[in-house]
Amino acid sequence: MSTFEVEVFQNEYLPAGGTEVNAIVTVSSAGVTGTGDAPDAAEIVIVDTSGSMDVPRAKMQAARDATAVAIDCIRDGVLFGLIAGNERARHVYPSGRGLEPASEQSRAAAKQAVGKLKAGGGTAIGTWLRAANDAFAAAAGRVCHAILLTDGANQHETREQLEATLAVCEGRFQCDCRGVGTDWEVSELRRIASVLLGSVDIIADPAEMAADFRSMTEVAMGKTTGSVSLRIWTPQGARVQFVRQVAPTVEELTGRATVAKPLTADYPTGSWGEESRDYQVCIEVPMHQVGDEMLAARVGLLHGEEVLSQGLIKAIWTSDQQLSTQISREVAHYTGQAELAECIQEGLEARKAGDNATATFKLGRAVQLAAASGNDGTMKLLAAVVDVEDPATGTVRLRSEIADVDEMALDTRSTRTVRVGPGA
Amino acid sequence: MTATCPSGHTSATADYCDQCGAPIGALAVPHQPTVELPVLEEIETAPSEVREPCPACGAPRSGDDRYCEGCGHDFLAPPPQKTDWEAVVSADRTQFERLQADGIAFPGDHREQRFALDAPLMRIGRQRGRAGQPPLEIDLTGAPEDPGISRLHAALERRADGGYAIRDLGSTNGTMLNDDPAPLGRDTAVPLVDGDRIRIGAWTTIIVRSR
Repeated sequence: MSTFEVEVFQNEYLPAGGTEVNAIVTVSSAGVTGTGDAPDAAEIVIVDTSGSMDVPRAKMQAARDATAVAIDCIRDGVLFGLIAGNERARHVYPSGRGLEPASEQSRAAAKQAVGKLKAGGGTAIGTWLRAANDAFAAAAGRVCHAILLTDGANQHETREQLEATLAVCEGRFQCDCRGVGTDWEVSELRRIASVLLGSVDIIADPAEMAADFRSMTEVAMGKTTGSVSLRIWTPQGARVQFVRQVAPTVEELTGRATVAKPLTADYPTGSWGEESRDYQVCIEVPMHQVGDEMLAARVGLLHGEEVLSQGLIKAIWTSDQQLSTQISREVAHYTGQAELAECIQEGLEARKAGDNATATFKLGRAVQLAAASGNDGTMKLLAAVVDVEDPATGTVRLRSEIADVDEMALDTRSTRTVRVGPGA
Repeated sequence: MTATCPSGHTSATADYCDQCGAPIGALAVPHQPTVELPVLEEIETAPSEVREPCPACGAPRSGDDRYCEGCGHDFLAPPPQKTDWEAVVSADRTQFERLQADGIAFPGDHREQRFALDAPLMRIGRQRGRAGQPPLEIDLTGAPEDPGISRLHAALERRADGGYAIRDLGSTNGTMLNDDPAPLGRDTAVPLVDGDRIRIGAWTTIIVRSR
């Protein structure tokens, strides 16, 4: 199991009358050495085999290759399986409903099954997820992870059916989602990945698929602690305004809270390997007098019944404006990163609706925020959609021709953030 | 082990109260509740030099206190800068006569229209016949109507400093600023100052004001 460290960055000083406390909570976990081959994991690869996967033919072949690469990355002893999906789901390996422990022989058998995958039929992603959920029943207590690859929108079931499936799968396993080509729905995969605490990304070129599958599987194999929650205690009269992950990506958690006991709520963060994530926590506290101090929140990492590590968010009221008007560098940075993601998504939405004025304004603001925070990755993606005249003022011109792939790449990666740079 | 906080709560945590968050050990005698708000008495007993109540929350101001007891308002702070902008739309005869657009008459009874710039993006145009589109913030449809204005003509955009810039959104007849006869470049944001006159269409003038 990992060990966790919690660090809090905030300006704890509030002006007289102030009630809003903002903090960035950095959680770092160190993977435990020596138990690196602990086989407490389960992995399922879900491959879209709908008819469109054959257009172009290279797509299905790339999916077969990438799946084989992923299988090779699964450590001995890890339970694994392979599901092929079209309008129904098929357990390709093992042929029953369960999972098989990885070994030289089972990996070879699975790869043989992969080689026989053929494209045909429709797309009903919910049925694939349900099949994965059924198979993971054989892996209770393990860190369960799935990779989902699709090339199309979820056409053969309703939005409600998919939501019902997500409600069943939530908390059971994590799922990284990948869309190949440009015929899939960004919002759909984002929704699935978001509920199942996974990532979402576009694979523009089928040739990149194998490398991406390898890295996803390797990251999954590195997760040593499953089902960790952020446990937040707030005092009487206080209210959690929002809790969101802000690095490595923006992920809203406010609505995901479950009340553990009075004054205490838990927010799911999934499984952890050796990594570090940042969270922004905003609490509204009851007003106090100048000179008073109070604890605004206790933020801990909950695994099972145990709180592994915790940090304190405080509030001190002062009449010294020098102290109270300063905004923590970390809070300011991540507030900007969250706005950046929002501006991109709203800008692209407006463009789709034909409202180029709003699109230009929002994407211009995004350019300004990306430039100011040194988010070069997002800046590069923005530059494929707008011509940047002046990044400092956010003066941009919407490109008249925008390739679908550029727009979808910007959309899927809009939530990626950068960490606070060194120095002010 | 349990602790007792200054407000008398029993707390399982020994650093801060697990009920109200107050620091434990802030008081030497833990069981005695704090005497709250002694300040109120001071207000009543202070030799009252009557001062204006707090302009922000209306609480009475005691003596020479710099900060309001009610809301923390700073009495010595300079009055807040009014950064509210508005756009005043009117018909400008000088502009009309200079342009002399064919077949267009100067409106006889044009009333001044005022729009508060209350959104980061204020689009200007004539909405008519565009059902299903998001409504324009500054819609200049309606008599007397300037036919020289495009459906989506220009936009006022809020800038980081709170001010606004004008951007022509590819209008047919262009957007002019003040007395410059040359139209603004398409899709170029030009920052505005209080009193700038934006001229569009055959006779429409929009004066932006920082109130």
